[in-house]
Amino acid sequence: MNLSRRTLLRSSAAVSAASVFGSLAGSASAASDTVTIASLYDLSGPFDVYGAPSNMCTEFAVKELNAAGGLLGKQVVLKAYDCQSDINKGPQYAQQAALRDRAVMAVGALTGAAREATRPVLRKYKVPYFYGSIYEGGACEQNIFCCNTEGNQQVVPLLEWSFKTLGKKLYYIASDYNAPRTFGAWNHVMAKREGGEVLADDYYPLDVTDFTAAIAKIQAAKPDFIHSCLVGGPSMSFYRQWAAAGMLKKIPIVSIIFGGGQEHEILAPEETNGIYAAYNYFQELDTPRNKAFLARFAQAMGQNHAYINGEAIGGYNTVMLWAEAVRRANSFDRDAVMKAWETGITWEGPGGKMVTDGPTHHTTQDVRIIRVENRVWSLVATKEQIQPDSYGGRCDVFAHPNQTEFLMPQM
Amino acid sequence: MDSFVILCFAVVNSVALLALISLGLAVIFGMMRVINFAHGEFIMLGGYATVIANHCGVNLWLSMLVVAPMFVALIGAVAERLIVRRLYGHLVTTMLATWGLSLFLIGAVTAIFGNTTMGVSAPLGNIPIGAYSIGAYQLFLIGITALLVVSSLLALHWTKYGLIARAAMQNSEMAATLGINCDRVYAVTFIVGAAISGLAGALLAPISGVLPHMGAAYVARAFVTVISGGGALITGFLSAATILGPVEALLSYFATPVVGQASLLLLAVIILRLLPTGVSSLWTGGR
Repeated sequence: MNLSRRTLLRSSAAVSAASVFGSLAGSASAASDTVTIASLYDLSGPFDVYGAPSNMCTEFAVKELNAAGGLLGKQVVLKAYDCQSDINKGPQYAQQAALRDRAVMAVGALTGAAREATRPVLRKYKVPYFYGSIYEGGACEQNIFCCNTEGNQQVVPLLEWSFKTLGKKLYYIASDYNAPRTFGAWNHVMAKREGGEVLADDYYPLDVTDFTAAIAKIQAAKPDFIHSCLVGGPSMSFYRQWAAAGMLKKIPIVSIIFGGGQEHEILAPEETNGIYAAYNYFQELDTPRNKAFLARFAQAMGQNHAYINGEAIGGYNTVMLWAEAVRRANSFDRDAVMKAWETGITWEGPGGKMVTDGPTHHTTQDVRIIRVENRVWSLVATKEQIQPDSYGGRCDVFAHPNQTEFLMPQM
Repeated sequence: MDSFVILCFAVVNSVALLALISLGLAVIFGMMRVINFAHGEFIMLGGYATVIANHCGVNLWLSMLVVAPMFVALIGAVAERLIVRRLYGHLVTTMLATWGLSLFLIGAVTAIFGNTTMGVSAPLGNIPIGAYSIGAYQLFLIGITALLVVSSLLALHWTKYGLIARAAMQNSEMAATLGINCDRVYAVTFIVGAAISGLAGALLAPISGVLPHMGAAYVARAFVTVISGGGALITGFLSAATILGPVEALLSYFATPVVGQASLLLLAVIILRLLPTGVSSLWTGGR
């Protein structure tokens, strides 16, 4: 065959045009007996402590859907990308998932920065983005569906409980980037509401490993409890040094992120005993539904699977909530799935009842305050069915269908 | 009073940490003019050696004080033999080569142990000071750093090997004429530097844990300290640590940690602007 450069260029242009138009027209799952969803978790690099367990839960969700006969008569194929803890990989793989794999849904891009980089790409190709990470709240756009807790669902019950139980003086120590700073803003909101006081907001760069000055400062301030939003491996040094200074038994620590990176397993028990956290889910949750879930999970993924924490469970809940929406819509089309979500789907997950919320595209769910002892979490208090924050009406995709801007909590 | 003691402790601790992470580099860079970009990874390997040995049932003190420095000395010996030996005198080339070594070591450790934090708990408990308390292990850390610095100083100035090493560094041709095997001196010095870095990593493991890319956090600070210190080997970097450490600790305490870190770098810039050959040029006359 004589393939000149000109014909090659012409034909490849036609192919690429066809693939672009194909996906824009939403004919993603034409006449095939499978349908593809994409996961964009960090499976290597510093964030793999969050990404790998989440992806494990997504894999299990897909297995479970397929074992039950698939979705609308199609087998679900999971195309798992490894974003390598690199923000640039999120949008890049999102584009590949949309154009090459014709994915009808995407999960992952777990950090705030990766999420913000990835969501415009998914929006452009109308691939619904089911976001399963705990986060600070404020991502309110049509194409995103937040299935884990947002800021007010975690921080509000945790601080309410802390100010009532542990004392009025809070000391905040956190990593220095956008999410911990937004959570930090909630401290002041909650202190005002509960008649408490925020003694300090201390932000540390992500690579700091020497917390001697920090610990001296906390000891001098004499708080009733510490709110920690330290993220990542180097910051774990804080807990080691805090325990080494003999402070663990003297001043309690509460956190909305501790445990999400398996800190309770990486650190020694004597460095973590008594730390409080707040999540929708924790593996030890003692309900028949969760016991059944864990039994199925162990059968499918092996007995020695990684601990399923409140962050990782998002990998399962996202896929299952999406599947519910698909069944009700009887279609994989983005707009149809969105309409189904907006009717307010009630679904019983491992962490209890979840209800999808129309205007905010978030979910109403339970949140539990938990305490770790010898690497095992136990339940301290439950706050049932917390609704997502409407940001004073600003988080409303009905009123603002074209809104993409990230919202900040109002003081 | 109590809070003053705690603050003094934070300051001394900051100086000791800077000195501890810089000593190995001071030996390799200060004496041999080899820009060892893998310095942070030598620290990392020392930490890993400690944690792994301890998890395998070796006594913690033995893992820290014996296993780690010996293991990193071995890595140093291999690196010297295969890479650094061929590049003495080529400053930029050694920099690139050791940078490559650094990337390789990070990759190798990640491949073997995964990119997750590991660690051992700090031994020795804590010491109450009035209403406060501090980790006894951190006091031990300060003590052993002082011991290391003093013994390096003594070894360099009061032993025969120290004399030979200094001679080989100052004028290798003359030393060779006098019958000194300079290649051997270089090799031993590099290995000793690596062992000290390994020991530093081992001592840091209980308070900071270990991660494959943890070296990056140390290497810049070590270079800043050694370069600000200037020509006088031990007294140079020690004086730099004594100036930089308190500034960082006090500003972290009274302002924010970001201000503390930034002011450490700013101060180093000012020092090098006023004393381009480092703090120690004040008493060595700029050699």
